[in-house]
Amino acid sequence: MEGLAQDILNGLLLGGLYAVVAIGLSTIFGIVRLVNLAHGDLMILASYLSLFMVSALGVSPLLTLVAIMPIMFAVGYILQRFLLNRVLGEEMEPPLLVAFGVSIILQNLMLMTFTPDARSLMSNLSLMTFSLGRNLSVPVLYLINFFIALAVIAGQHYFLQNTYMGRGIRAASDDKYAAQLMGINTQNTYAVAMGIAIMTAGVAGVLVGMTFTFYPHSGPQYLIIAFGVVVIGGLGSMKGTFVGGLILALAQILGARVFGPGYQLLCGYVVLLIVLAVRPQGILGRG
Amino acid sequence: MPAGAAIQVGGVNVFYGDFHALWDISLEVGRGEIVSIIGSNGSGKSTLLNTLAGQLTPRTGSITYFGESIGSLPPHETVAKGMVLVPEGRRVFPRLTVFENLLMGSYTYKARKNRKQSLENIHELFPRLGERGDQMADTLSGGEQQMLAIGRALMSEPKVLLCDEISLGLAPIVIKGIYQKIKQINALGLTIILVEQDITRSLKVADRAYVMLEGKIVLEGKPCDLTEERVKEAYFGI
Amino acid sequence: MTNRFTRIKWTILAALTVGLGTVPVWGSEYAMLFFMLFCIYLALAQMWNLLAGYSGLISLGQQSFVGLGGYTVAVLSSYYGINIWIGVVLGGLASVLLALLMSLFIFRMKGVYFAIGTWIFAEALLVWFSNWAYVKYGSGLFIKPTNDLSMEAIYYAAFVVGAGSVALVYMLLRSRLGLGLMAMRDDDQVSETLGVDVFRSKLYCFLISAFVTGITAGIFYVFQIFIQPYKAFAIDWTVKLVFMVIIGGIGTIEGPILGALIYIVLSQFLAEYFSVSMLILGAIAIVVILVAPKGIMGTLQEKLGFEILSPRRN
Repeated sequence: MEGLAQDILNGLLLGGLYAVVAIGLSTIFGIVRLVNLAHGDLMILASYLSLFMVSALGVSPLLTLVAIMPIMFAVGYILQRFLLNRVLGEEMEPPLLVAFGVSIILQNLMLMTFTPDARSLMSNLSLMTFSLGRNLSVPVLYLINFFIALAVIAGQHYFLQNTYMGRGIRAASDDKYAAQLMGINTQNTYAVAMGIAIMTAGVAGVLVGMTFTFYPHSGPQYLIIAFGVVVIGGLGSMKGTFVGGLILALAQILGARVFGPGYQLLCGYVVLLIVLAVRPQGILGRG
Repeated sequence: MPAGAAIQVGGVNVFYGDFHALWDISLEVGRGEIVSIIGSNGSGKSTLLNTLAGQLTPRTGSITYFGESIGSLPPHETVAKGMVLVPEGRRVFPRLTVFENLLMGSYTYKARKNRKQSLENIHELFPRLGERGDQMADTLSGGEQQMLAIGRALMSEPKVLLCDEISLGLAPIVIKGIYQKIKQINALGLTIILVEQDITRSLKVADRAYVMLEGKIVLEGKPCDLTEERVKEAYFGI
Repeated sequence: MTNRFTRIKWTILAALTVGLGTVPVWGSEYAMLFFMLFCIYLALAQMWNLLAGYSGLISLGQQSFVGLGGYTVAVLSSYYGINIWIGVVLGGLASVLLALLMSLFIFRMKGVYFAIGTWIFAEALLVWFSNWAYVKYGSGLFIKPTNDLSMEAIYYAAFVVGAGSVALVYMLLRSRLGLGLMAMRDDDQVSETLGVDVFRSKLYCFLISAFVTGITAGIFYVFQIFIQPYKAFAIDWTVKLVFMVIIGGIGTIEGPILGALIYIVLSQFLAEYFSVSMLILGAIAIVVILVAPKGIMGTLQEKLGFEILSPRRN
């Protein structure tokens, strides 16, 4: 059982990162019934933007969050307001396919602008660890990711529960017409919701960039992670997103431990498929 | 009736796609009046309210609100002007609490400033809502949900209240209670348009009434002038 | 008058089909390559359209069958020396089996969950094959035909699947299954009350599309000679199919034909600038969805009643 405790610790911390990766997708899916297939690519866009700022200004990646967050909010707002709002309607296909189109455009734009080379926002931070007891070492970066994730998710929860705009978003997702009758401009509300979702995706993108290498085509793999977290943890629940992240991360890390590092992703997929088949509303989701 | 009507509708035609739903509708609602619009299912009365609220735009004709033309305003802007709709089927927000539902009513900036006072007023008018403040809206009874829907609408500090079939699916004694509240609200100075299938109740409380059939207005007058027979004839199109 | 138009229509179609089928006779090497790719993508697009346009199943995982079909041919020909065409057919059968397995999981899911479920299966296969010693991991396999294979033979095979897929979809839609599908497309629940077995209909379409996709991929890889997991199981396949069908016209038989043609022309023009071509394709697709969601053929059909291959019964 050597290193099992370490693996579990890593899994838990990684789970926090996965949760913040997923929170944007979950929010939008729960509120607007839209699966943003470009979610992962928007994350990676933030990674590249952060990279650009780091090389231009020589600041730490974490500092770029100050600029990245409002930029990504604007990106999400504009995307929803001027593109996705137009195809939101009865059928599920048009928004799905438009998001798909955006995903491909983003990937290829990033490919053309930044070349296919592997990139990363890694810094000294990525290598630092500190010891916990005799056998455990805690990667500092994972810990930072975890706490930022916690802050982001708690912050969003507070916003949705306790502000007018947040309640308006929840109301509009419950009953669009009734919300309009209350004076809520639902076009704007949906766009704000997407802005928030993409803003959190931006945070996730920077954190991911600091933790792993990324390529222009890295988006979809994070989309699948996000989707996995949402499915496992259940939609519409902040706790669920966190739990989903933990379970997925643990499945991956323990899977790699048992079957070998190449099977890390596969174990995640298998767990996801099983949950989809057996309890599609997720572990903490409402039936 | 004081000078300047609250609402004037002139020659309005509304279409759902190719379906002609409202034909040349003209009516007037005076300030502080309670006006009833009666008709069976499919007569167009809900369509009329939805048009006033801004969800539908008339293809031809005009709608004036306290002298202002508002035909093409979207719903969230008519609310800001002071005309709010209590929609058919109540449509409270199920995943928000009673308290949050009421708060949603005061979403517009104007109303938001006075929300504390508004809440007190609503609680006085509908004590039950105060008691059930933290309950999820979908756990309320039909009558309570109707009160919540009305209270929510009142939170936006309207001048005109549009009520779409507020007696639907409720027990007679509950309906009686709600209509009493309607009279109280009117006494505070609000203009009210009531759309109903139930003839007797709405005629009792109205200052004037219109009867609609198949998208057209077929009869209008004061309740004292409208005999049961005339109304029935118009209602059923005999 | 209508009869004359119909006869002219069928004559032109027949002429075009014969022309397509005889390219090796009259065309250059380049023409053969061009039309061969056209036939391949046509077959794949028809199958995606059968699912998304007629069965209400958006599949983002057709690449599962592409990869499996291709690898079946590769393994059978390289390791066991089995005749290449038998390998192709077996690739189709393997795809059907895979589809059956997938259906156990994903046919419980609705809409977007189904779509992503198909994608996840493909990603899982990608990882699996990349780590499998038997197929030489990610370095890939060669396809080794036992007999000497001419370019003409490959072309004729591609033509058969290409034209065959159109004929297959056409006949399918005119069958009882097809009537059920078109009712389902309009209203799922109503058609169920009328006795249409929604589940069975969708499953059959899913299996058929898996079979044809698997066979078509087999032929494609016979031409390519080399197969690797990260390309064979890549989402790129679905991306191209989605765009072809959206632009050409989803839910029409002619749509995929037009879409495949547009794609092949575009990719030949922009052969050097792969990213740009994908970008343009993506942008066009978005514009099409916003402006004319039924695609080129679909909008023509709607506005002008212009239908070449109509599955409607008169």
